[in-house]
Amino acid sequence: MEDRLEKALNWALENFKADYIEIRYENISKNTLELKDGTFTTFADKGQMGVAIRVLADGAWGFSSTNRLENLEKAIESAYRLAKATAKAKKEKIQLAEIKTYQDFVKSKMKIKPKEVPIEEKVERLMDLESLLKEDGAIKSTWLRYEDASGEKILITNEGTKIKWDLNYVWQYVWATGKEGEKLAAARDEVGAVDYGWELFKEKEPNEEVAKRVIRKVHAQLEGVAPKRGEFPIVAGPIVVGLIAHEALGHLAEADLTINSPFKDLIGKQIAPEYVTMSERIVEGGFGNDRYDDEGVPVKDIHIIENGVLKEIMLNREYAHKWNMEPNGHARAENYTYPPIIRMRNTIFEPGDWNFEEMIEDIKFGYYVVDFRGGQAQLNSAFQVGVQEGYMIENGEITKPIRDTSISGIAIEALKKISAVGNDFGLEMGRCGKGQTAFVSSGGPHMRFDGGIIIG
Amino acid sequence: MEELIRFGEKFFDELEIATYKSRDASVNIELNEVSTSALRERVVTVVRGVKDKRLGVAIVDSGDKEKIKEAIERAYKLAKLNKPDEKWVSFPEPGKYREPRKVDKELKEVSPDYFVELAREGIGMASEEGIIVAGGGGGAEWGESLIVNSHGVNVSQEGGGAFFYIELVGMKEGKVTPGIFDFDAKLSLKLDVESVVKNALQKVKWAFKTEKSKTEEAKVVIEPWAVSSLLSYALFPAFSGERLVKGTTPLANKIGESISNELLTICDDPLHELSINPVIADDEGVPTRRNVIVEKGVFKGFVWDNYWAKIHGVESTGNGKRNLSTGGISIGFHNVVIEGGKKSLEEIIGEIEHGYLVSGFQGAHSSNPDNGNFAVVANPAFLIENGEVKGSAVFMMSGNVYELLPNLYAVSREQKVLPFGGSMVVPSMAFDNVRIAGK
Repeated sequence: MEDRLEKALNWALENFKADYIEIRYENISKNTLELKDGTFTTFADKGQMGVAIRVLADGAWGFSSTNRLENLEKAIESAYRLAKATAKAKKEKIQLAEIKTYQDFVKSKMKIKPKEVPIEEKVERLMDLESLLKEDGAIKSTWLRYEDASGEKILITNEGTKIKWDLNYVWQYVWATGKEGEKLAAARDEVGAVDYGWELFKEKEPNEEVAKRVIRKVHAQLEGVAPKRGEFPIVAGPIVVGLIAHEALGHLAEADLTINSPFKDLIGKQIAPEYVTMSERIVEGGFGNDRYDDEGVPVKDIHIIENGVLKEIMLNREYAHKWNMEPNGHARAENYTYPPIIRMRNTIFEPGDWNFEEMIEDIKFGYYVVDFRGGQAQLNSAFQVGVQEGYMIENGEITKPIRDTSISGIAIEALKKISAVGNDFGLEMGRCGKGQTAFVSSGGPHMRFDGGIIIG
Repeated sequence: MEELIRFGEKFFDELEIATYKSRDASVNIELNEVSTSALRERVVTVVRGVKDKRLGVAIVDSGDKEKIKEAIERAYKLAKLNKPDEKWVSFPEPGKYREPRKVDKELKEVSPDYFVELAREGIGMASEEGIIVAGGGGGAEWGESLIVNSHGVNVSQEGGGAFFYIELVGMKEGKVTPGIFDFDAKLSLKLDVESVVKNALQKVKWAFKTEKSKTEEAKVVIEPWAVSSLLSYALFPAFSGERLVKGTTPLANKIGESISNELLTICDDPLHELSINPVIADDEGVPTRRNVIVEKGVFKGFVWDNYWAKIHGVESTGNGKRNLSTGGISIGFHNVVIEGGKKSLEEIIGEIEHGYLVSGFQGAHSSNPDNGNFAVVANPAFLIENGEVKGSAVFMMSGNVYELLPNLYAVSREQKVLPFGGSMVVPSMAFDNVRIAGK
């Protein structure tokens, strides 16, 4: 396939005067299973194959995609013509930051790749998980989704980048509905990995653990009481801390969004206490891990907030040039039908030195928020997180669960109210939508906020 | 296709082949500039086959006959490995379709250049001091589908739509407003860029002035985009027949009962005059129809796809929607219409002494469809005093959709078309005595 792509690239170089041409091919086989209350409503084998082409000409981008390889040259020509047409409307010409180009093969770190696992085993495991969930009398309905992929991705550019990936992932999503009397409650759970294969489900996330977690979340809501509305001390668990890192702060540090956000004028300034550090980095088991991004740039660890100071942001080559910075590997495309855009990978708060008991012992009344269902943020860092598992803290003790509530605040204000950073660490896998879906993870230690977050 | 069905029948008791061809031409706006123009073409074929009540699905990024044959064989391999679904009845039988809407062929050929111009126009109109065009875009989508099954269903459809949207951020004296966006979507290229920009600009100007919101019970007027996001997550899932069968809808046993008042009428009507998703068949080839779900506040009934309808012993209402990444069908809507009322939005606002106007909700997707509970942040939202919008005011609104709906006291005459879950036609809705938590 590399030969076919190179031939097309050479043809394009001979025929068009482009500043940059990038061809990204992918050919991936996926297994998708959905088990809804005893029935596999989806039992699918998917072949996803196509080419994405991005051309920079006269300082503007043109993009095209096709899954008909016989149209490859035509698609390059489309992208070129689109770039030329767009250029006419452009005041500021796009330029790309210089990079060192790589020729590499990115091997998978998986021990057991999903394609090596017989489908029967995938089926059995989901059925087992379903029956474990339904052993609990309150669980009335379950929806389990599983997807894996194995295949290859090839990126070649006119600058000499030539990278081939052995691309694999596994992903699982659980939605369970519980009922007790007239009360209905629902909980979600999501796990996934790009560096762990089937071993994820054997070693890290066995069915028993997942089921226990989901049942706990459903019961917390069924038995939960409505919280008091208002501003109270909040202790957030790693999953919620991660969501704040991702939704409320991470997006502001994506260079294309930074420019319209309060972060723009805060780079280099103290925005949080000195014991707060937030990173975008490779994490053991991180769902956003990779060696190169979709522009062929090596993925680098960055500190968005270091010791309280807003320091680095996520860049692609275009924005790296604009900001006069080094690109750091955050250009990602969902698949061949999309151009790469600036995305997060694994966004986390780094651990501190508090233990959990110390953190809650002097709270007379507050809340402990453990897990969320959906979260959203605005460019001014206003965020809202639906809480699917949370508890009251009364006189230094965790007491009753709370139900169907949410927390909200302005993250850059809430950051200043962080009074303790835990010495533990947790990571949550998820999918982020920014027009395209990307696998990401987020997490951190337990953290305490004395104000800045409203519950209710 | 007949040949492929016959080929498939060698393996399966029954099967369905659905091919979707799409062409999208679009441009992106980023930071006061057109950024990327794109042309995307895709063909996807989904094969669903059933053998001894065992389902197998294969999806292939192609419409080629040979590739589809391979997909049929792969689907068969999977079906053999699947467990029998004792509830399975059959794929749909052929039905009678309504006359399709006339389609605008221009949408099929339009070049992204057209939208480059449109975007440039929009950016130009929005260029005022302190206003940044943070994002936006425009484009046309064209789709052709063909659904056939071994019972004789054979339906092809084609059509397209165009859209334009803009997101503005105000930045003045160190103050950043929330992102404010507005959009237009139509079945033709006649997009109203001017109104889109004008509406967004008006709101950014309101948002420059911030007002405090109180913790109180107040009148809240919710604009179409916010209505659609809240109801799509907190209410509409409860209309699904699947949830009735499973006992996870709060509307079980509520047919014929009032869930709101006479101001609320909701139907799924793909051929409604404003619909941008005028399908005559659903993704299983079942004819679509106008399904009245709530009439003058009274809940009239559930919507169904083929699978759940047959299990429950009713007819599919033509609400089977396919997920192209999994091939699966689930119950969904084509074009939800919430009937408009008598007053204009301006009149509704004009009559409010003290209240709020909500353009968007954050976190609507964290609502609980199983019981209707929601906890959202109203943002962008605005304070109304003495019939006038005073400035932006962010607040939290948490409650239950079934407690909110009876407090509906006015519905705007104007309806907006939203490209949300197919398409939606939604007015602004005004509620009384809404509990809010101010900031």
